[in-house]
Amino acid sequence: MTSPTRFENYFFVFRDIIRSMHSSTNLKEVLDVVVTKSAAVLNAKGSLLRILNKKTNQFEVRAACGLGERYLSKGPVTTEKLVADPSEFHKVKIINDIWHAPRIEYPQQAWDEGIRMIVDVPLSIKDQMIGLIRIYLAQAREFSRDELDFIITVAEQCACIIERVQLMENQQAQFSHLATQMEKLSSLGRMAAGVAHEINNPLTGVLLYSSNMRKKVPPGGYLEESLNIIIRETQRCKKIIQGLLEFARDGQPQKVLSNINDVIENALSIVSNQFRLRFVQVEKNLTEDMEKTLLDISQIEQVFVNLLLNSLHAVNENGRVTVHSVVNRAQNRVEVEVADNGCGISPEAIEKIFDPFYSTRTDGVGLGLSVSYGIIQNHQGDIQVFSEPGCYTRFKIALPILL
Amino acid sequence: MKPIRVLVIDDEGVICDACRMVLSEKGYGVDHCLTGTAGLLAVESGAYDVVLLDMKLPDIDGSEVLKAVRNKTSAPCVIVMTGYSTMSNAINAMKLGAADYLPKPFTDDELLAAIEKTCAHR
Repeated sequence: MTSPTRFENYFFVFRDIIRSMHSSTNLKEVLDVVVTKSAAVLNAKGSLLRILNKKTNQFEVRAACGLGERYLSKGPVTTEKLVADPSEFHKVKIINDIWHAPRIEYPQQAWDEGIRMIVDVPLSIKDQMIGLIRIYLAQAREFSRDELDFIITVAEQCACIIERVQLMENQQAQFSHLATQMEKLSSLGRMAAGVAHEINNPLTGVLLYSSNMRKKVPPGGYLEESLNIIIRETQRCKKIIQGLLEFARDGQPQKVLSNINDVIENALSIVSNQFRLRFVQVEKNLTEDMEKTLLDISQIEQVFVNLLLNSLHAVNENGRVTVHSVVNRAQNRVEVEVADNGCGISPEAIEKIFDPFYSTRTDGVGLGLSVSYGIIQNHQGDIQVFSEPGCYTRFKIALPILL
Repeated sequence: MKPIRVLVIDDEGVICDACRMVLSEKGYGVDHCLTGTAGLLAVESGAYDVVLLDMKLPDIDGSEVLKAVRNKTSAPCVIVMTGYSTMSNAINAMKLGAADYLPKPFTDDELLAAIEKTCAHR
């Protein structure tokens, strides 16, 4: 039996990589195969695979072989150092002189490790560099065209699988977030109906006795004042429970075919006085060729009143609130955005913003947005929030156009 | 003039007592029952003008009591009280013949206003 040719070797490596892509859902396993097999077939000392962490903008080591712990422990590499020149994003970079290459961060350590030549192969998807395979050789040598073709093809395959896995992970995270949100809402709904009755009954006694007694005490005295507080606080409890009951409401929303612009106009007229009092301008930009959608008018109106009042609370006097509606024909839905240039929402708060009873206002119950969330879900729609503390907050609502 | 007679049907004694106090101060004649069965018996025997009916009773569902009361000849007006104060509950109660709807909790003025409004429409 003759020893396999170089091309056969390439073929075997491809086969192994592709097999691991198909059989493994674990990205780490695939990347391990990529680094070990490609280093072996190129007679390299070792190789390293980094993937860009978009949050930190750093290339983090995700797989390596043939390199000492000391070299690996050097940590992530920043984007700036790795790609000083964006035109080199998609090119294989052969580095013969590791001492004078700007993208080699630790030449001394590399030299001590016995590395004399480095080949960088970018992992790119479309115009974005999402990672890098770095191949380390113990001695400088020429790279043949075949070898380069081979390693570029491995990198292309590898980039595809990384993107696919990242997409899947993103979707999984989004789904599980959605699932927890819905679970919270539905368990709250079940609880609300029970609590409402249990609490409203004792409150009835409190409110009847206190409101009746208020008429019997001398006007203006501390007794009347105390009773006023009892009455006010009892009515506050009533309002909280009323909010809770919005969840427990049986059945689906009462939807009719309507123009969402009309609902927005209505909501605007409800809050217009509050806006005027604080000198806050509302800029509206509602598309004229709005498609009709199936809406529970009073529920959707409640959502907009809620968002508008939140915006009003977020801005200073003379702040600006905008309401914008469009038809997104590509996705067959109508989209409405309520935005303000107010105080914004911190990243920690944004995580919890749709949670029931989460409020940053001392006078808030924390049900407005969670009720809104539930309403939009019941319309098969989507509500998203974007914010930059100190700059802006945008709530974007999308509702399907049903054909 | 004969005083207007009100029957309160609610399983919570405190609510019955509070309603009785508020209403008797205004000259209404007030009785109360803690169950649906006792309430229906009382409606049968006594001549009540208004029934204040809680929708959640330990023995019979409030809407059944409401139907039974409304089916009687010279039936009293029924004002429904409930802790589940949603619009659909109110509409359902009205469909079953309730004259008015009082979401719990309510103030004495709200109670009196509901009774007065109901009596005015009799």
